[in-house]
Amino acid sequence: MGDIHEVPRPRIGAGQLAQHIGKPVCFVGRVEKIHPTGKLFVLSDGVGRNTTVELSEPLDEEISGIIEVVGRVTNQATIMCVSYVQFREDKSPFDLELYNEALKIIHEFPEYFPFG
Amino acid sequence: GGYLQSPGGFASPSGAQAEKRQRIRSQNIVPCTVSQLLAAELVDEVFRICDLEIPQVTVVGIVRHAEKAPTNILYKVDDMTAAPMDVRQWVDTDEAGSENVVIPPGTYVKVAGHLRSFQNKKSLVAFKIMPLENMNEFTTHILETVNAHMILRKNLMSASGAPPFSSTVVRDTGGYGGGGSLLVNGLTAHQSQVLNLIKSCPVPEGMSLQELKLQLHSMSMSTIKQAVEFLSSEGHIYSTVDDDHYKSTDAE
Repeated sequence: MGDIHEVPRPRIGAGQLAQHIGKPVCFVGRVEKIHPTGKLFVLSDGVGRNTTVELSEPLDEEISGIIEVVGRVTNQATIMCVSYVQFREDKSPFDLELYNEALKIIHEFPEYFPFG
Repeated sequence: GGYLQSPGGFASPSGAQAEKRQRIRSQNIVPCTVSQLLAAELVDEVFRICDLEIPQVTVVGIVRHAEKAPTNILYKVDDMTAAPMDVRQWVDTDEAGSENVVIPPGTYVKVAGHLRSFQNKKSLVAFKIMPLENMNEFTTHILETVNAHMILRKNLMSASGAPPFSSTVVRDTGGYGGGGSLLVNGLTAHQSQVLNLIKSCPVPEGMSLQELKLQLHSMSMSTIKQAVEFLSSEGHIYSTVDDDHYKSTDAE
């Protein structure tokens, strides 16, 4: 899976991409659309902001629902994806808005939820 | 990176005080991040994150690796705050069957266990490791971690001039899907202070937001309003003559 999983990957929202250019991050969002080439997909944060995720190899499966991406932020404020997982929602839907609120808390109190 | 900033103006607790506060801690289970566990120091045979004892911890993360050995299963669990942590689950060799099912990589899990350090490398010995069935538990863990560390550290740091809380007994509360977490009365420090003031008000129309602000100099009006909203939705207080006046539902 590569080095990126051995370092801290701050959880960020769409509004923080600009501050993390070039850095490893972890991003969670809902799949809005997938490019026909399978090398690009768009995630929404549930409160109206979209983020583009790029892949070095095309997707080899259908993805939908909530995806958690680990990758690096590009100069264009997209995310170059290194790995992703799909959150299970078979028993309960994932509350993406609550997650966004949790992100605000983590960023307000980094001393109680440190990355690194 | 720095895991700990000492809040300005507070002295470290003296040995005797710290010991007294720590007396009841051994029953606690503290939600943590892997980064916090890596930063913990072994002092007198107990792990501490900045004086806060962490005898038992929970972490939530994704299994990156799973390896089965005759007597144990070794997982690497990743919560994005640092490199994946080794989590060892001892296997009951007398009992065949479901206890020994290996959780596959790519699964989000909640781990409860004890921190260990061997040759300067930290790991967890898990007494419980459960795949998350509801991913909202993952979000809850984030919130519980911030909450627990904030309250516990504030309790440790509080000098004699601190406002009185109605109780500082820590208890296990049921989490989103089982598994305890650490809260003081189930309320944050701000909420406790607001509630205690409202409880102490004898007049029929209760305490107004303005009076609360007067008494709680260090709290902003928006923080007070948030606390009032929470306490009201939880049923601790109710509004009286208008939305600015509140009384406690507890007869005191």
